[in-house]
Amino acid sequence: MNLWLIAPLSLLLIGILLALAAARRKIAAVRLAWMLAVWPAAAFACLAWLTAANANNSPLTLSYAWLPSLNLSFSLYLDGLSALFALLITGIGSLVTIYSGYYFEKDDSSWRFQSYLLTFMAAMLGLVLAGDVITLFIFWEGTSLTSFLLIAYKTSDEEARRGAFKALFITGGGGIAMLAGLLFIGITVGDMGYASILSGGDVLRNHPFYPAMLGLIAFGAFTKSAQAPAHIWLPQAMTAPTPASAFLHSATMVKAGVYLLARLNPALGFTDLWFWLLSLFGLATMITGAYLGFKQNDLKALLAYSTISQLGALVALIGQDTEIAFKALVISILAHALYKSALFLTAGIVDHETGSRDLRRLGGLARAMPFTATAATISGLSMSGLPPLFGFLAKETQLATSVHPGLPPILNVLFPLVVVAAGALLLGQGGLFVYDVFFKRPADPKHPVRGHEPRWGMWLAPMIPAIISLAVGVLPEPEFLASFLAHSAAASYGSKVKVSLALWSGVNIPLFLSAIAVSTGSLLFIQRKRIRPVLQAFLPQFSFNHLYDATLRGGDALARQFTRLQNGHLRFYLSIMLVALGIILWLFQAIPFDFLTMQPASSLLSVDGLALLRVFTLSMAGLSAFTTIFLRRDLFAILALSVSGLAVAVWIALEPAPDVALVQIVVDLLATVILVLSLTRLPRLQREKAREFTYRQSRPGLLRDGLIALGSGLLVALLVYISLQTRPHESLLAPYFAQNAKPLAGAKDIVGAILVDFRGFDTFFEIVVFASAGLGIHMLLHYAARKAGDHEDPEPTPGPLKQHPVTGVAGLPTSPLLHLLAYALLPLAFLLAVVQLMYGHDQPGDGFTAGVFISLAIGSWYVIFGYQATKQRLPWLRSGYLIAYGLLLALINGLLGAWFGSGFMAPLNYGQMLNLPLPQGFYLSNAFIFEVAICLAVLGGATYILDNLGRPRELNLESDALLQAIQEEPTTQMESETT
Amino acid sequence: MNLLTALAIGVLFGVGIFQLLRRNVIRSVMGLVLISNAMNLFLLSMGAYNGEAAAYAGSSAQISDPTPQALALTAIVISMGGFAFVLAMLYIISLRYKTSDSDHIQELKH
Repeated sequence: MNLWLIAPLSLLLIGILLALAAARRKIAAVRLAWMLAVWPAAAFACLAWLTAANANNSPLTLSYAWLPSLNLSFSLYLDGLSALFALLITGIGSLVTIYSGYYFEKDDSSWRFQSYLLTFMAAMLGLVLAGDVITLFIFWEGTSLTSFLLIAYKTSDEEARRGAFKALFITGGGGIAMLAGLLFIGITVGDMGYASILSGGDVLRNHPFYPAMLGLIAFGAFTKSAQAPAHIWLPQAMTAPTPASAFLHSATMVKAGVYLLARLNPALGFTDLWFWLLSLFGLATMITGAYLGFKQNDLKALLAYSTISQLGALVALIGQDTEIAFKALVISILAHALYKSALFLTAGIVDHETGSRDLRRLGGLARAMPFTATAATISGLSMSGLPPLFGFLAKETQLATSVHPGLPPILNVLFPLVVVAAGALLLGQGGLFVYDVFFKRPADPKHPVRGHEPRWGMWLAPMIPAIISLAVGVLPEPEFLASFLAHSAAASYGSKVKVSLALWSGVNIPLFLSAIAVSTGSLLFIQRKRIRPVLQAFLPQFSFNHLYDATLRGGDALARQFTRLQNGHLRFYLSIMLVALGIILWLFQAIPFDFLTMQPASSLLSVDGLALLRVFTLSMAGLSAFTTIFLRRDLFAILALSVSGLAVAVWIALEPAPDVALVQIVVDLLATVILVLSLTRLPRLQREKAREFTYRQSRPGLLRDGLIALGSGLLVALLVYISLQTRPHESLLAPYFAQNAKPLAGAKDIVGAILVDFRGFDTFFEIVVFASAGLGIHMLLHYAARKAGDHEDPEPTPGPLKQHPVTGVAGLPTSPLLHLLAYALLPLAFLLAVVQLMYGHDQPGDGFTAGVFISLAIGSWYVIFGYQATKQRLPWLRSGYLIAYGLLLALINGLLGAWFGSGFMAPLNYGQMLNLPLPQGFYLSNAFIFEVAICLAVLGGATYILDNLGRPRELNLESDALLQAIQEEPTTQMESETT
Repeated sequence: MNLLTALAIGVLFGVGIFQLLRRNVIRSVMGLVLISNAMNLFLLSMGAYNGEAAAYAGSSAQISDPTPQALALTAIVISMGGFAFVLAMLYIISLRYKTSDSDHIQELKH
């Protein structure tokens, strides 16, 4: 554990916060940039110190348990390889931050770019410092997302948005594959941390799924590091502002894939598959990038393709199993980062100062911008691989790898050939960049592209890496750098690597090949005016972009096909879901058909006491449900439904479960009343039409629905039968409830005791749900629908009500006898409710039934007197208040239990506590108060439901317009049948 | 007896599904009621004991299992609330589209 490891990331976080804080303040872009550049520079210093102080070079780690139950942790890991990348990221990051300040000098929102850039930097730093594959993946995705923001920085530019999307699509897709691969590896090894993974190489390589792991990881790494054919996103990502390109697309993000492969080399590498996969893809990318780069006219595009070429070289190097390859790898990474970032930054200066990046227009800028030209020349020559620059060393070591005697046939020819060809083409590109931009006479001398040296901070940024490129080559071999690189290479190779930075290693084959590359390259450069047009004319249309576009188009087409399934018929969706469920159950053999055959025949029809009654009620429930199918009128069907519900209630009573039966009865009645009354509110014609089309269905459609219904019914029957046969016949809970109902809850009725006491909290939420349903319906019908113009009723007139005429459903007068009945019914309902509340603890009945009783009586008033008249006669009936009082009372009552008793809703008997004279069998306990609260809330909820749904139509408001609208609807449409 | 119970619940459920698949939205609501009845019955019949007396403390006979009863009671109340809410939504829908035919209610598609 080394707590200092968190410091670099924290420093960058401070930078991000500062950049965001600058959003509101007007700070000049340059000043802001210097303020912000301090933090990556400090992170660089911190990392350098950590690396230098780590004398024995064992990896530094930091781990913080994140989800210990899943064995996940946030961990960091710093060894030679991480250090190389981390130092590059923070070092070049500081330079780019300063440079961006000048680049966005006239942009007021430069803080936006800077905050993206620093966030990206933090993500990238986290990626290379991550100590386990999960942390790695999180930061990896972080770089994808932030690079999306950076590429699409010019949000108004269509091309930029498209380029950003392309980059995200390709690298994001690769990231998902990589995650699968990483999890594969982590699960195989048994731990997500590097320590286990890197030492578990033998387990991984011998695992039968090794090719899958390797394929997934390689897919992620190749897409991220722009290996052919996934390289297409990189040139288009050049729509990013140049500082972002310099940072993301030269030194950092595109090297994430290289880092991943180098990191996992000890675990996955050293197999034939690894060797061929990486070598072939790497070499193909190397030559593709070099070839395409030489065709470009745009400075940034040229640099992008040469980057692709070098990325290919790096991947090919990781695939090798030789010490020299890893020496070449670390040298090439460093050399490439140095010269390529400098070149991008100078390209940005040229663009910024002259307004053009076109090779055909630029020329002769060296006199106007000497410093920029110096930086560009050094870096360009380094890219070309000429001595005495660092790039020469990189190319020499690559060549040395390519002629290693251990290479198998074919590759031992192909590899040197590709390296030489790519070297020649890169030299040509270096020449184009340096000579054509800075030294050649402008193509059009009459209108030369003018420009002048930028402010010093801007040219300083490319100058520093350029000078390092030169210094490493010219100065006597710097020992500390060599040993640092040796440690980096060793971390990736898995064993010791010797690194020397001497340019001259004697006359040997690599030097000879290098001479060929240089002479061919020079020839290419001198003859560029003839060769480049030929190349540009050759297969200009050919590009993997077509493949990408075709993929996207294919995706769209597929999506369209799927959308076709959504024909808007909800019934169709439902059928599909049910059929799919059936298929799944069948496929997974989840339906135990053999259960039935295992049962002894006698048990199938075993009959016990009360059997005849039960058989009767069950048949009644089933048959009356079945009848609903054949009753054409909705009203009759609803009545049959109600009968079925009542039969269910009788069956429940035979269980015997009187409390549940009572609730089932009142709920069934309430549901029936609501259904019937809401039916009366639909316009009559609509109802009649509905009756017509209920059975208008093609025969195949009817058959399909019937089969689905039959199948699901049989499945449920089977499920129920199996559950019933195999259910345990001993309950763990019931004896406890039976014993403690009286002493703890003071109730003989065990079910009631469970509801108001043992599981009182459930009941509290149950009434909250019921009341919310009532409130929701009120909102929906009273406000939302009226606002949307759905409601056909006129707004009830507020203010003092005049005497309303007493009219029943549909405005018809009702008989006085019925009035009398209504007057008798309501007090009776109250009486019943009070009895239920008072004695419900010993007898069937509870607050819910009490509330529904009263609501049903009120419902009858609506039918008999009409809505307005009822409202006038029952002024106390204000559903919202009833719900509020009920819930408040329940809550206070529960809190009192916590105050006086042992906890929320703990039983209290106030009657006993206060010594009140109370009738026999009635206890003034908080269970009773809870029941009252339930009754109030349910009354409120149920009357809201009745008010809004069950309120009968008083006047026939079916306006002519509405009638007409219904009649005009073409009948042919109605007959259309879904299949 | 178990077989009969299972069959009755299966009939309720199957008819419920069939009604749910009708074009007439009123029938769909009825289907929902049938399905919730079937499920509540299922829940209730899962009791451990073949009770002879209601679940009252101090009863000498074998009482029925009170636990699934309490759960079923809660379930019935909540399905009532859900049913009312669905009915309200269908009512609004049929007002807005001037039809009770679910095949004509297609604007959800767009």
